[in-house]
Amino acid sequence: MERNQMRRQLALMRQSFFDQGFLDEQFIQLEELQDDANPNFVEEVVTLYYRDSSRLILNIDQALERNPLDFNKLDNYMHQFKGSSTSIGAKKVKAECTQFREYCKAGNSEGCMRTFQQLKKEYAILKRKLEAYFQQARQAGPLETACRSRN
Amino acid sequence: MGAEVDHICPTGMSGGSAEGNDKSEGQRFSCKNKLTALVVDNGGVCQIIQTGLLRSYGVETEVVETGEAVVELIASGATFNLIIIEMLLPVLNGPETARQIRAMGAQGKILGITTFFDERDQQEFLAAGADEFIEKPLSPEIVIPIIRGLDN
Repeated sequence: MERNQMRRQLALMRQSFFDQGFLDEQFIQLEELQDDANPNFVEEVVTLYYRDSSRLILNIDQALERNPLDFNKLDNYMHQFKGSSTSIGAKKVKAECTQFREYCKAGNSEGCMRTFQQLKKEYAILKRKLEAYFQQARQAGPLETACRSRN
Repeated sequence: MGAEVDHICPTGMSGGSAEGNDKSEGQRFSCKNKLTALVVDNGGVCQIIQTGLLRSYGVETEVVETGEAVVELIASGATFNLIIIEMLLPVLNGPETARQIRAMGAQGKILGITTFFDERDQQEFLAAGADEFIEKPLSPEIVIPIIRGLDN
């Protein structure tokens, strides 16, 4: 596929992430930090996010199997999970984190478990979308994701 | 070439970052004096983003993962213009860290940062000596005025 076409597709893909509420303006902050010195910053941070949070998800899954639930522990895990989700601009994931925390505070086990299933869904959807995005960006050539220090 | 890049460049996006970055001349905001900062967070992603943001504004930034490490640094004589401390840290929590370093004479600006804003956490952090308390993410809108204040 011709490069210009690829870049246009990439731009549309990226725009859809914002339009459909998967990402918020914090993702733009990541893009702003990408430059010639850090040409793959966005992808690196997102990769780190998925690596770190997979561990957290495992911890939360295990914690949700306890009976009764340790809401304090769950809250602490979610604190960190929301922190990193917020930092990459994962808007829908962040919303589920907030919902989860509300159920934690209310001591609502059923709500926690239900919300966490939804959270994992959103998390997985975003992961697939971002992986496709970065793969296409690599194919389209290195200019795409570097927005800073261009004049 | 420029046209294609403009498709991807987020300058057309709404959202506060455009103003916050002060890109009117195509130049990123940068501090005038030599400023130092310390990021205290045990989450890798948050660490990278906070240090990345501060460094992009020319602030010399270090990062540690625990309150104990901060206390050690201050005890060894290190000084920072700005210290950003996460609320929930493994052993010594954010406010307790702030309290200890203030007691040791640390005078820089302390910014308490958290994931879920909570008024009690805010009170605790401010009482412990933090100057401000915010919810993540650390954004240009918050950081640039702080840097400007420290710069002058």
